[in-house]
Amino acid sequence: MKIPKHDVAVVGIGQTKFRSKRRDVNIPEMIYEAVKMALDDAQLEPKEIDAVIIGNMDHFEGINFSELLCGIEAAPGYLKPVVKVATGGTTGSSLAICGYHNVASGIYNNVLVVGWEKLNEGGATTGIITAFDPVWERPSLAGALGPLALMAGMYSAKYGITPEQAAKVTVKNRSNAANNPFAHLQMPNITIDYVMSSQMISYPLRLHDCCPQSEGACALIYANEQETKKITDNPAWVHAVETAHYYTFGTDDKMFDLPTATIASKKAYKKAGISNPVKDLDVAEIYEPTSWSELSWTEALGFCKPGEGGKLLDEEITQMSGELPVNPSGGVLSTNPIGATALVRVAEAAIQIMGRGEKRQVPDVEKALAMGFGGSLWTEIMILGKNPMR
Amino acid sequence: MSKNRKLKKDFFEIKWKTDLPYRYSIGKLAVKFFEELKVNKKILGSKCPKCEKVHFPPRAVCADCLVEMKIDDMVELPPKGTLEGFTVVNYPFTDPSTGGIRPFPYGYALFKLDGADTYTMHFVDETDVSKMKIGQRVEAVFSEERKGDLSADIPYFRIIKEEE
Repeated sequence: MKIPKHDVAVVGIGQTKFRSKRRDVNIPEMIYEAVKMALDDAQLEPKEIDAVIIGNMDHFEGINFSELLCGIEAAPGYLKPVVKVATGGTTGSSLAICGYHNVASGIYNNVLVVGWEKLNEGGATTGIITAFDPVWERPSLAGALGPLALMAGMYSAKYGITPEQAAKVTVKNRSNAANNPFAHLQMPNITIDYVMSSQMISYPLRLHDCCPQSEGACALIYANEQETKKITDNPAWVHAVETAHYYTFGTDDKMFDLPTATIASKKAYKKAGISNPVKDLDVAEIYEPTSWSELSWTEALGFCKPGEGGKLLDEEITQMSGELPVNPSGGVLSTNPIGATALVRVAEAAIQIMGRGEKRQVPDVEKALAMGFGGSLWTEIMILGKNPMR
Repeated sequence: MSKNRKLKKDFFEIKWKTDLPYRYSIGKLAVKFFEELKVNKKILGSKCPKCEKVHFPPRAVCADCLVEMKIDDMVELPPKGTLEGFTVVNYPFTDPSTGGIRPFPYGYALFKLDGADTYTMHFVDETDVSKMKIGQRVEAVFSEERKGDLSADIPYFRIIKEEE
């Protein structure tokens, strides 16, 4: 295992209020809100930022080369290196990991990363279809929800997970979202019956088993140990990052239990010295595009044995009051601005480490996990801690 | 309703419609696949010369071995397979291949052709989920006039109710 040159911390966080439509702003204006908030949070001037990494799935909105449109005007990229990262659902976590590597390697002292999506300016399902093979995959592919429905059905058939257990995930996450002022769908009074009587979108997925389409942006600033000392005495230190990219086609494997999450999390736990994730982690922000996927992902991440995701939830371990709260922010079921979604997981994990979560704060967080999911069943993991690794 | 009206009033909007035509090179193996499909109603996959994994749809590179598969490595597969997962897509969206709304609801499934090591997704001729079950046998239905287009030449897979 290679030892990074520098310890790296998150020292500034910005995110917009996420909504289904932000008709009051264009894309650069929306990005600027999150970037300005992160700069103010770190008390840095734009000129003090060394490099900028931007991330979104720009063809979802029918734009291209968003470095030009967004990297310079909205993010502090003027006269600086600016690159774009676009890896589907994992875009935000790829951004987080690229930003980390650029500082950990000693190339830059600090890096600003910003991810966004303005989904209602295009069509997410249409955009997602164009991300796949035009000959073999596009004809029958119905964006992300079709394959996620297949996965949910296969998962349910294998382990006997029930629609009630899935509905409980939505109830947990959207009531958690009511404590998060940035979350898109805040539903403090949501019930299992409400979820289970919503329209069948793609069996077994009902409308409220699915994430929304959101508009908004999220920005983070990373700094090495010397710069971090100057900026804040309350940073969130990166302990481990891990990426597992899988096959090209989603159908290359049986596609229901996310093997990449198992591969990536095992490696990340080893790096971060975690032997029992439920005991050693204090909070997890995971990328659950559907209620069913949170149950399955908690298994893949080793929070419980395969097939026990429903039991883990029934035992209230992943509730706010449980041993390992999952998605205090409300998760992806509440907020899904694709290019920002996985970066929001990292931002929220950092907020928990810093103790700045207000109504959504889990007490005494020392270690937090953030997960990105996307591409063709890809997973990325970042583990953050209260103290530097060395 | 009143909320929508309010939005229309509050926001200045410019609308236009864009046509963006693309032409894709489908690759050497896909050319062979569609030739055989069109002329001989045959389904070809590709077999890795190193690990012998059979890929369907046919692929030019085995991701596990990073070994190239050529036309000589293509193998014929029977038009039958087994259902591994299914759903009925029941929501509207714009199909990027046509620019129009894709007709729905439609049956959509993951299955494995006999003799293949990878899975395939395609349309199935069933929109009643109570009639679908993991493990059911499926069979490709070919169009009489085939033109070298996957969804036109094999519009769907048929669920075989009992082994016929």
